[in-house]
Amino acid sequence: MSVWNYVVTAHKPTNVTHSCVGNLTSPHELNLIIAKCTRIEIHLLTPQGLQPMLDVPIYGRISTLELFRPHGEAQDFLFIATERYKFCVLQWDAETSELVTRAMGDVSDRIGRPTDNGQIGIIDPDCRLIGLHLYDGLFKVIPFDNKGQLKEAFNIRLEELQVLDIKFLYGCSKPTIVVLYQDNRDARHVKTYEVVLKDKDFAEGPWSQNNVDNGADLLIPVPPPLCGVLIIGEETIVYCSANAFKAIPIRPSITKAYGRVDADGSRYLLGDHAGLLHLLVITHEKEKVTGLKIELLGETSIASTISYLDNAFVFIGSSYGDSQLIKLNLQPDSKGSYVEVLERYVNLGPIVDFCVVDLERQGQGQVVTCSGAYKDGSLRIVRNGIGINEQASVELQGIKGMWSLRSSVDDPYDTFLVVSFISETRILAMNLEDELEETEIEGFCSQVQTLFCHDAVHNQLVQVTSSSVRLVSALTRELRNEWFAPSGYAINVATANATQVLLATGGGNLVYLEIGDGVLKEVKHAQLEYEISCLDINPIGDNPLYSHLAAVGMWTDISIRIFSLPDLNLVTKQNLGGEIIPRSVLLCAFEGIYYLLCALGDGHLLNFLLNMSTDRPTVIYSSNKKLLYSNVNLKEVSHMCQFNSAAFPDSLAIAKEGELTIGTIDDIQKLHIRSIPLGEQARRICHQEQSRTFAVCCLKYSQSNAEETEMHYIRLLDDQTFEFMSTYPLDTFEYGCSILSCSFSDDSNVYYCVGTAYVLADENEPTKGRILVFLVEDGKLQLIAEKETKGAVYSLNAFNGKLLAAINQKIQLYKWMLRDETSRELQSECGHHGHILALYVQTRGDFIVVGDLMKSISLLIYKHEEGAIEERARDYNANWMSAVEILDDDTYLGAENNFNLFTVRKNSEGATDEERGRLEAVGEYHLGEFVNRFRHGSLVMRLPDSDVGQIPTIIFGTVNGVIGVIASLPHDQYVFLEKLQSNLRKVIKGVGGLSHDQWRSFNNEKKMVDARNFLDGDLIESFLDLTRGKMDEISRTMGVTVEELCKRVEELTRLH
Amino acid sequence: MLNGWPSRDPHNFRQFRPSDPSNPSKMAATTYCPTHSRTLPPPGQVISTKTVNILLRKMYQSEEKPTAKRGPPANVVQEQGCKQPRPTSDSDSAAETAYM
Repeated sequence: MSVWNYVVTAHKPTNVTHSCVGNLTSPHELNLIIAKCTRIEIHLLTPQGLQPMLDVPIYGRISTLELFRPHGEAQDFLFIATERYKFCVLQWDAETSELVTRAMGDVSDRIGRPTDNGQIGIIDPDCRLIGLHLYDGLFKVIPFDNKGQLKEAFNIRLEELQVLDIKFLYGCSKPTIVVLYQDNRDARHVKTYEVVLKDKDFAEGPWSQNNVDNGADLLIPVPPPLCGVLIIGEETIVYCSANAFKAIPIRPSITKAYGRVDADGSRYLLGDHAGLLHLLVITHEKEKVTGLKIELLGETSIASTISYLDNAFVFIGSSYGDSQLIKLNLQPDSKGSYVEVLERYVNLGPIVDFCVVDLERQGQGQVVTCSGAYKDGSLRIVRNGIGINEQASVELQGIKGMWSLRSSVDDPYDTFLVVSFISETRILAMNLEDELEETEIEGFCSQVQTLFCHDAVHNQLVQVTSSSVRLVSALTRELRNEWFAPSGYAINVATANATQVLLATGGGNLVYLEIGDGVLKEVKHAQLEYEISCLDINPIGDNPLYSHLAAVGMWTDISIRIFSLPDLNLVTKQNLGGEIIPRSVLLCAFEGIYYLLCALGDGHLLNFLLNMSTDRPTVIYSSNKKLLYSNVNLKEVSHMCQFNSAAFPDSLAIAKEGELTIGTIDDIQKLHIRSIPLGEQARRICHQEQSRTFAVCCLKYSQSNAEETEMHYIRLLDDQTFEFMSTYPLDTFEYGCSILSCSFSDDSNVYYCVGTAYVLADENEPTKGRILVFLVEDGKLQLIAEKETKGAVYSLNAFNGKLLAAINQKIQLYKWMLRDETSRELQSECGHHGHILALYVQTRGDFIVVGDLMKSISLLIYKHEEGAIEERARDYNANWMSAVEILDDDTYLGAENNFNLFTVRKNSEGATDEERGRLEAVGEYHLGEFVNRFRHGSLVMRLPDSDVGQIPTIIFGTVNGVIGVIASLPHDQYVFLEKLQSNLRKVIKGVGGLSHDQWRSFNNEKKMVDARNFLDGDLIESFLDLTRGKMDEISRTMGVTVEELCKRVEELTRLH
Repeated sequence: MLNGWPSRDPHNFRQFRPSDPSNPSKMAATTYCPTHSRTLPPPGQVISTKTVNILLRKMYQSEEKPTAKRGPPANVVQEQGCKQPRPTSDSDSAAETAYM
C-alpha cells in the first residue's frame, strides 16, 4: 500500500520572486533579502561580496516582501504577506541572531473575490499604515499607532475593480495611494486617493491621469523632493504628479522589474521581458522635473526583481533563468554593454518537464530538467553525489600510480607528489609560489616505475620498485638503506605504512619487512600457493603506525586472505567466487568498525566486516555504522591519492585520461547541477536508451521588427555531450505537446513519438494536431509516420505494444500496422470520451489513469477481447490537475493547481457499483508548490542491503525549481514519524508565528481540511538541526533515545 | 548619466573577486530552525480585520455625524449610471461615496 507518504525537498526553490535591500541585521549592516517563494534568504553586503547569513523557511507562499523603518527604530523591520492571507512583521535580534515576530495576523475576508492580477502589499513611506489589495473592490488598511504598533485592520471600498498596481505616494501630509486600473472598455487610468484613517475611508486624492499607455502595468513612486509617480507602459514612460507631466516613448517592451538607484529617485533600473536592462533618468532642477531619459545598459537574465546593492553592484533576481550579481561599468565593453555579470545563482525554475535517467549505468538516477523560459531556457542535469572541485590540473600522460609524501613526520602538509610512469618516476612538489614543480629525491630511483611509496618513521621515505625497497631520509633526501628482492624474482605488488613494508614477488612469495632508523629488516617470509594480486597493511587498530593484520588478494583461487603480523600466520580466508580477481584491497575503520574493502577487476566493490572498483570513482563513507556509497562527478579515473598541501588543503590528486588534477571533495550527498543553456525554452524531454539520445520539444521566440513570432522544434541531443544532433521544425502555429520513446508489437525498432497541436488565435481549444513517429538513424531524426488528430495530443504513453494518446477530451488507442510491405502507420483502435481535457495520462498493465483539466483523476481499463476502453472509477472532486502518477495498483497520486497533493484509492471491494466506481481521496497535503511532473525514480544509489533501498520513491519538479521526493513508507514507520512530526511542531516554531498545521492543510477554493497521510519530511529532517537539549525534549515525549531518533531520521535523509 | 553610482559604504564589494560566471556560485546559508518563544508576537499584536460590514460602518458613521459628508449628490447620480461615461472628462475621480 502506498497510502502513507513522506514528502521531502531534495532541491529547494530557486525562483527569486522578491528582493529588497536595507539594514535588517544591524543599523550598520546592509542586507539583501531574497524571497524564493516559500523561503527567504538574508545576505550581508561585505567587502568580499554577498555573504549568505540565513535561509529562512516560511510557512506560506510569499506574496509581499518589504523592509520598512518604524518611527524611532534604528534598523529595518521585514514585512511578509503570504498568498493564504497571513502576514507577519519580523525584527532581527542581533544578540541572539533570531528573527523575532513583532506582529502577525490574518487578513483574509469571509466574502470577497480574490484579485486576478495578484496580491498587492504596500507600506506607507511615512509608516502610517500598511495597505493590502487582496480582493477585487477592497483595499485593506492596517494602521500603525504613534508607537509603531499595528492596530486592527479595516477595509475600504475601492471603486476600481480591475486594479493593475497600487503604490503609496511620497511626501503627502495624509497617506495617499496611487491606483493604476483598467476600466470596462479596457482603457487604463491612474487615480489617487487619500486614506482618511479617522473615517476609515478614501478621500479624493491630489490628482489623476486618464488614458495612460494601454500596456501600463507598473507604478514607481518617486521619493522626495519630486514625489510624483512613474507610469511604466509598453510604449511610453510617463512621469506624473500634481503639477508635472513628462513622457518619453520607448522601444516596445514589457517591464517586469525595477530597482531604484539613487535615494532621491532620480535614476531607476528597469528590466524587461527580453532580459534587457535599461537606466531611466528623471532630469530635474531642484523639485521641477524637466524630462526623462532612457539608456540601454545591457542584457541580464529575465528579471523578476532588481535590487541596487552598493557601489555599482546590482542583484538581478530571476524566475526564468539564473539570478545574477552584476556590476554597472562606466564604460561599455566591446559589445557596447555596461553590464558585467560577476556571479550566477542557480535557478532550476520553472521545471516544465524532466526525465530520470541512469546515464552512467550505476543504479543511480540523474534528473534532466527542462528549466527556465524564453531566452533563459536550459536543460539541467541534476545528480546526487560527491563533487570534486578542481583546483588545478596539468597534462600528464601515462600515469601508473601516485602517492603523496611529507618532508618530515611533524609536517601537517604533504610536500611531494610521487607520480609513477611505466619506465620512470617523477617527483612533484609545491614551491613557494604554491605551484607544483618537478623536483628530485636523490635517494629514490627515478629511472623505473614505482610500485609503492610511503612516509616512514624517523623522517624517512620508502620507495618500492620491482627490484628493491629503498629507505631514504626525508631531510637529506639521501638513500639510507636498501633491501633487494632475491635474484630472479621481481616485486609485483607492495604496500607499506610508517613502520612496515609488505611485498609480494612472483611465485607467491610474501615478504614482510620492518622499518627502523636507517634500517630495513626482513622479518618474515611466507610461500603462498598462488600469485598475489593485491596487498594492504593500513593500520586500523589503536596504533596508527603499526598494523597487526595484512590483507592479501589472490589470483587463481580468487580469494582474499587475512594474515597476522609480524608472523604471517593465516587468520582467515574468504573465497570470492566467480572469475574476477580482486584488484585492490583496503583495511579501514569507519566509526570504530573495521572493514575490508575489496574492488574487483570488473568494477564491483565488496565490503567485509572484520570481525574476525572500479575506474569510476566512488566515495565510501559511513553513517550510523553503515557503509554508504556515493558517486563522484568524474569519469575514467585511473589513479588517485590524498594530497594535503598548504595551498590545496585536504585535496585529492587524481589521474584521469592524460591529466593530473588536484581537487577538493565537497559535501557528501549534495546535488550537483550542470547547465546546458539552449537559448530557447524546452517544454518536453524524453530519453532513448537505444540511441543514447534525448529528444526535446522546444520553442524559440524571435523578434523581427515589432512582430514577435515563436517557432517550435523537435531537437535531438547526444546524451553524453548534450550537443544538438538533429532538428525537426514543426509547422507554423504547431506546438510540441508530448514526447515518448517507445516500441510497438511486432517491430524491433525504438521510436520517438511526438504529439502536437495547432494553436490558432481564433480557437478556444485546438481542433487539429499530429502524432509524429521518428526513428533515429545515423544520429538524425527520420520521420517514419504521421497521423493527424482532432485536437491537441497532450499525452502519449506506450501501452500494450500500442500507442495511447490523450487528445483534447478523448483517450485514443492506436495500433502500429503495416500499411504496405515496407511502411507502417498508426491506426485508430478504440477510444474513450468524457473528459474536459485529458491532460496527463499514466498507465500500468491494462489500467489507464487520467488527470483531467478540472475533473480530478479517473481510472480507465482497456478490455482486450472487446477492444474497448471503459471507465472503471473516478474521483468526483473538482480538482484542476497539474500532474498524476500511479503509486501502486490501487493508489494514485495527483497534484493540482492550488499547490496541493492528494492520493486517491481504488475501492475494488466495494459492495455496490457506485462504491466501486468511486476513487476515494485517502491523502491530502498542501505542498505549496506547483508540480508539473511526477516520475518514478531515485536520486540516490539504491543499494539492496540498505533499508531505504526498499522504499519506492517518486520525484517531482515544480515551477519554483524544487525537486522533491515522495516516498511511500511502511505503515509502522509512517505512524512513528507522524508522532515525531507532531512533537516537532511543538518545538520548531513557524517563523512569524505562522502555523505548520495550517500551512500543510489541503486548501482550494472549495475546502480546507487538515493534511492526512502525508508527512512533511522537511520538518522531520530538521530534527537533526536541533540542539541536544531540544532533541532530549523530543526524545522524552517520544520515549525513544536521541540516538535512535537521529538514526531513523538520518536514514530518511538518504532518500534524497 | 552613468556617473556617480551611489555608495552607502565604500568598502562594500571592494575586495570582491568574481568567480567564473560559467560556474554557478554556491551560496549556502544555514537553514533557520527557530525554537524560541518569540516567534509569537507581543500581546495585542495579533491583528485581525474589523468585522463590521463597510456599508453598515458608513451608516453608523453618518448617524453619528448626520451633517458631515453627504458628498456631492450630482456626482453620485452620475457615477451610479456608468463608471466612466467619458474617459476624457475630469469628473470621474470624485465621489468616494458612490456605493453608499
